Amino acid sequence: MSAPYAFKLALQSLMKDKWINLLSMLTIFAGLFIISLSFFIFYNINEATRNLPEKFSMVVYLEDNLSREKVDGVIVAVRSRREVASVKFISKEDAFKELKSTLKNSPYVLEGIDDNPLPDSLEVKLRRDAMGSEPVLRLSETIKKITGVSEVDYGEKFLSTLHDIKNGVRTVGIILAAILSTGIVFVCYSTVKILFYRRSDEIETFKLLGATKGFIRAPFIIEGAAIGTAGGLTSLVAMHLLQHLVVLKMATSVPFFNSVLFPANIFMFLPLIGTFLGISGAAIALGRLKY
Amino acid sequence: MESAGPMIHFQNVSKEYESQTALHDITLSVEKGEMVFLTGPSGSGKTTLLKLIYLAEMPDHGSITIAGWEATELRESSIPFVRRNIGVVFQDFRLLDNRNVFENVSLALRIRGVGEREIKTRVADALKTVNLRHKADSYPRRLSGGEQQRVVIARAIVAEPTVLLADEPTGNLDPDTAHDVLRTFKDIHAKGTTILIATHNRELYRNSGKRIFRLHAGSLLGEEVC
Repeated sequence: MSAPYAFKLALQSLMKDKWINLLSMLTIFAGLFIISLSFFIFYNINEATRNLPEKFSMVVYLEDNLSREKVDGVIVAVRSRREVASVKFISKEDAFKELKSTLKNSPYVLEGIDDNPLPDSLEVKLRRDAMGSEPVLRLSETIKKITGVSEVDYGEKFLSTLHDIKNGVRTVGIILAAILSTGIVFVCYSTVKILFYRRSDEIETFKLLGATKGFIRAPFIIEGAAIGTAGGLTSLVAMHLLQHLVVLKMATSVPFFNSVLFPANIFMFLPLIGTFLGISGAAIALGRLKY
Repeated sequence: MESAGPMIHFQNVSKEYESQTALHDITLSVEKGEMVFLTGPSGSGKTTLLKLIYLAEMPDHGSITIAGWEATELRESSIPFVRRNIGVVFQDFRLLDNRNVFENVSLALRIRGVGEREIKTRVADALKTVNLRHKADSYPRRLSGGEQQRVVIARAIVAEPTVLLADEPTGNLDPDTAHDVLRTFKDIHAKGTTILIATHNRELYRNSGKRIFRLHAGSLLGEEVC
């Protein structure tokens, strides 16, 4: 069959059964819109937490009265670790000065403390890819074993909370996307099946006149693709409307919304995703039908 | 496999529907370029025999050869290509009501992948053969029974099949229109097409000089020349 004729048949069917097709398209739109919204939220949480690890540091407390050579030895040993981005030595004097500066509005806290109780320490910044409660815990255990190190302190609660939030949002997003994508495929599958049964007399005539399965299938595949693409396009438009009519407008009164990012280059693929899901549903339906 | 021999050959063919015998031990041959009639009362198995030829059904026993192809050995994917050698005038017409006469007739060519320009020429020729060129834009429901019958004939012949099957082609027609339809078949036959007409209308084959196969209760009673 010539491709234009397959498109003509698909267009005729789309117009003839416009209400079924419109309903399917709206269902696909709703599914893709929810997926996009979940992704939008995950993307913003991910972006907002992306720079948090740079503010995170591990503090390595050194034993008292360690010679300069031994301190340098510890610094070299820590810096040699792959996970470590930088190491800064903080002498006990500098640490005490900083503590005093921090507590300058509450000097009574340090009243009666004449000797510096703080130890020398190292401020260790980690590489971004080493972030995560497990790798940081392993690193701290290794550093603890270095001679001259008395204690290692790191924000384990902060790290694990951050990790849990990101993982939770990602997992929910993936599950939601999987369920809704399956739903979209099922909608296309059911639509094509209904349209197929409605046209069964016509299809029987096609067959008796010598039509191949390809001739019979092509318009349905095109129809599935069209419904999916339309659903994808509508969800793309809806996401842009959400960004321009809700997020950007709210940003003028609520500063938080100024930092909300809109991944337009990713949402651009929504019509293609719709096409793929539409074709998949149609192909599965045609594969299961006996004709 | 394709081989030389008669255009249609049935060898000890039987067919049952839910334990009801539709055809029993049929053996017959139709030569290339021959025009034959198949007759018998309603329910005698005429339509079933035609369905076996255009591969809408498969036999339970026996073998069927059509244009050199052994029906029972065909793969499912090959059936459409064998059907393209066969034009069928269905008893229930099978016209698509949402398409006009031109589109209905052109369907047989579109299925074969014929180009748009050639479709226009060939459909016009086929409609001219059945005297319906002026009705090309009409929809089937606006046509009389005789006109619909002729549209079906045009659709059956437009792709120039090697075999033409007609199932009660004059069943709904008045005697004059039936005579016109028969004349159309004779014209098509004159061009070398093998034709098998199933009918219980004796007027159609009386004094035709053609072979007649008589069916009764699914069995072939014999053949004669009228």
